[in-house]
Amino acid sequence: MVELLSLSRLQFAITVAFHFLFVPLTLGLALLVAGMETVYYKNKDETWRKMADFWGRVFKINFAIGLVSGLAMTFQFGTNWGAYAEFMGDVFGPPLAVEALLAFFLEGTFFGAWIFLDRNRQKLKAFSIWMVALGTNISSLWIIIANGFMQRPVGYEMAADGSKVVMTDFFALLTNSYVWYMLVHTLLSAYLLTAFLIMGICAYHFLKRNNNEVFKKSFSIAVTIALATAVLLPVLGHGYAQYVTEVQPAKGAAMDAIWETGSRVPMYLIQVPDSSTGSNSVQLLGIPGLASFLYTGSFSGTITGLNQLPQGELPPVELVFWSFRLMTILGSLFVIEALVGSYLQKSGKLYTSDKYLKLLIWSIPLPFIAIIAGWNVTEIGRQPWLVYGLLKTANGISLVPTSDVLLSVVLISAFYLILMVFELYLIKKTVVNATGVE
Amino acid sequence: MFDFLTHDVLAVIWFFLWCVIWGVYFIVDSFSLGAGLLAPFIATDKVQRIQIQRSVGPFWGGNEVWLILAAGGTFAAFPLVFSKMFTYLYLPMMLLLIGLIARGISVEYLHKDDNPQIQKAFMWGWFAGSLLISLVLGVAFANFFKGLEIASGGVYKGTLPGLFGLYALIGGVLFVLMSVTSGALWINVKTEGAIAAKAGDLAKKSTLIVLVLALIYLAYSFVGIEGFTINYSATPALYLLPVLAVVAAVLAIFFIKNNKGFPAFCSNLLTLFFVVQSGLANIYPYMLKSSVSLEYGIDIFEAASSHMTLSIMLGGALVFVPIVIIYQLWVYTLFKEKIKETERVDY
Repeated sequence: MVELLSLSRLQFAITVAFHFLFVPLTLGLALLVAGMETVYYKNKDETWRKMADFWGRVFKINFAIGLVSGLAMTFQFGTNWGAYAEFMGDVFGPPLAVEALLAFFLEGTFFGAWIFLDRNRQKLKAFSIWMVALGTNISSLWIIIANGFMQRPVGYEMAADGSKVVMTDFFALLTNSYVWYMLVHTLLSAYLLTAFLIMGICAYHFLKRNNNEVFKKSFSIAVTIALATAVLLPVLGHGYAQYVTEVQPAKGAAMDAIWETGSRVPMYLIQVPDSSTGSNSVQLLGIPGLASFLYTGSFSGTITGLNQLPQGELPPVELVFWSFRLMTILGSLFVIEALVGSYLQKSGKLYTSDKYLKLLIWSIPLPFIAIIAGWNVTEIGRQPWLVYGLLKTANGISLVPTSDVLLSVVLISAFYLILMVFELYLIKKTVVNATGVE
Repeated sequence: MFDFLTHDVLAVIWFFLWCVIWGVYFIVDSFSLGAGLLAPFIATDKVQRIQIQRSVGPFWGGNEVWLILAAGGTFAAFPLVFSKMFTYLYLPMMLLLIGLIARGISVEYLHKDDNPQIQKAFMWGWFAGSLLISLVLGVAFANFFKGLEIASGGVYKGTLPGLFGLYALIGGVLFVLMSVTSGALWINVKTEGAIAAKAGDLAKKSTLIVLVLALIYLAYSFVGIEGFTINYSATPALYLLPVLAVVAAVLAIFFIKNNKGFPAFCSNLLTLFFVVQSGLANIYPYMLKSSVSLEYGIDIFEAASSHMTLSIMLGGALVFVPIVIIYQLWVYTLFKEKIKETERVDY
């Protein structure tokens, strides 16, 4: 039973993390390529066509895996989380079905059209990629509406026998404030990831002294997006953290490993939490009242500590804490890199700032790591609940033979590894050869 | 005004929609599956391979979404069925998933790299994925028609080898062959040159086999499957479904013999659609029929979501499904030219 639960969770973690390596880039690149196709349609400038071709090719390679790995998510709600599906179907099914109707059809249908339309039908081609971009971004809304219910159930009542939730207000699912905090945060981080990937790829070519106009233009667009999103993420994230602390106190307290209830809670720059003792084994350089400010909005605010919360309902504190730390440290780095990038570009020193350019190449994976860490906080921080306050994760699984799940974990992992290797190979080749640019 | 839409009425409407959505998925994906099944065998060079790829390239992705809608629709309208269907058939569903991923990636990456070995590998990936999808779905649906080994209290007694009985195997082979025929006729209609002629010749033979197999499969269903005729006896009009399936199969043979590719293509799709509907018509009022004893099956009324969820979903489907159909058809008109033997590499 324990093994089955762990394997089911492991499989979901692997498949959802894999899927989400491709989704953010799809969200960002779809919009950017759509913009490039439109500018080319308007001004017929070859530079913009090359930009659309080059980034479009990266987009195609990435999109294919995002599309097929999404299928695994739908399947698993039935195969591995059958009890969850039965408990939640009335509320969780509709957003998924609407997502297919409103978003996936747009994406799937117009992705094919965009690829196969020739440049002599540029208007239709640009229109098609806009529909893809619209579809992908609508998709993020509906899947987050579904996830938002798991974080903060609204618009439902329990069935008389307590076996499942029943929808009472569909509109409440859409206006769930958790959804909108999460959606803004997710989309901004997706655009940031896209911007840093573009900056990194452009940096590679600048280092090779290939100052093609395609890369120069792309960089200046990307650095603007990077700066805007890198600044907005912590500013808006501050409100998000306060909100989370209000709605899910255990998640909020675990994010900074705050063990004891208090006001004017300091934030320690160096801190090692230890859940076996219910305290920090190391805490240095405390900034008075900062944690209170971050999680309540006031330096004298009171935060409920983990030790004062129901003990059976705490998430794995260390995992949540370290994931959150990692995300915020990376987030700060992104602000600095984006600021430096904007400055170097404005002052014209960018193309010869080799150290900075190298840093940008090494920074390509960082937003991916930050995003996965962020989802760790959201999903692990909600544990032991699968649906907050209503259904424990342990009660959500399908009772299938453990050996079957072991087999599928191995099969899917091996298969995904091959896909990943090949995807990286194709993208690297496209980037190094600057396909469509030269 | 909508008082007549009681929970039971909505559940029946959703069962009907469920049957239609699955039917639509089977027909729209059949020709891209068929193209994948045929590509390694009938394309003699890269030019022909690209012709085949281009014939389905703009369409397969949007068509596959019908499968996601079928799954998502099951989840929303019949959560219990969604859960049981995927749980009972855990390993087959995983195989289907692997097939779907392999097919999708292979079609998209077929010519992304210049290395002929890699291109060859993806062509076979396309084939293997398409085979898995059509075979697993064919076997799974034959088992749905026949009933799964569901014992009292919803306990599943079935085994993996138990799913591959004679009836299910005929179903699996029939689905693969209907897809092959669909693909051959599509290539015949959408391309020009040697590959179109070759696909047409192949379809002349495969339409015959489809007719024979469909007759065997339907006869087996009515004679050899317990409880299959109950609904048919109660509502004899249902006999139209298998009759239409057979008539369409005969028409397909007739049309392709006279080199009318497109009518033959449509006829074959109708055969596929009505074979599926003939089987689904027998399971009502169950969605997961039990082969142990009918009473153990999961019926649509106990599986259905709440009145509110069913009505919201019905409203959504009535508004958006027509919109989807309109723009999908529009995209077909954007690519109405036949694909010539000119090479374009970057797909």
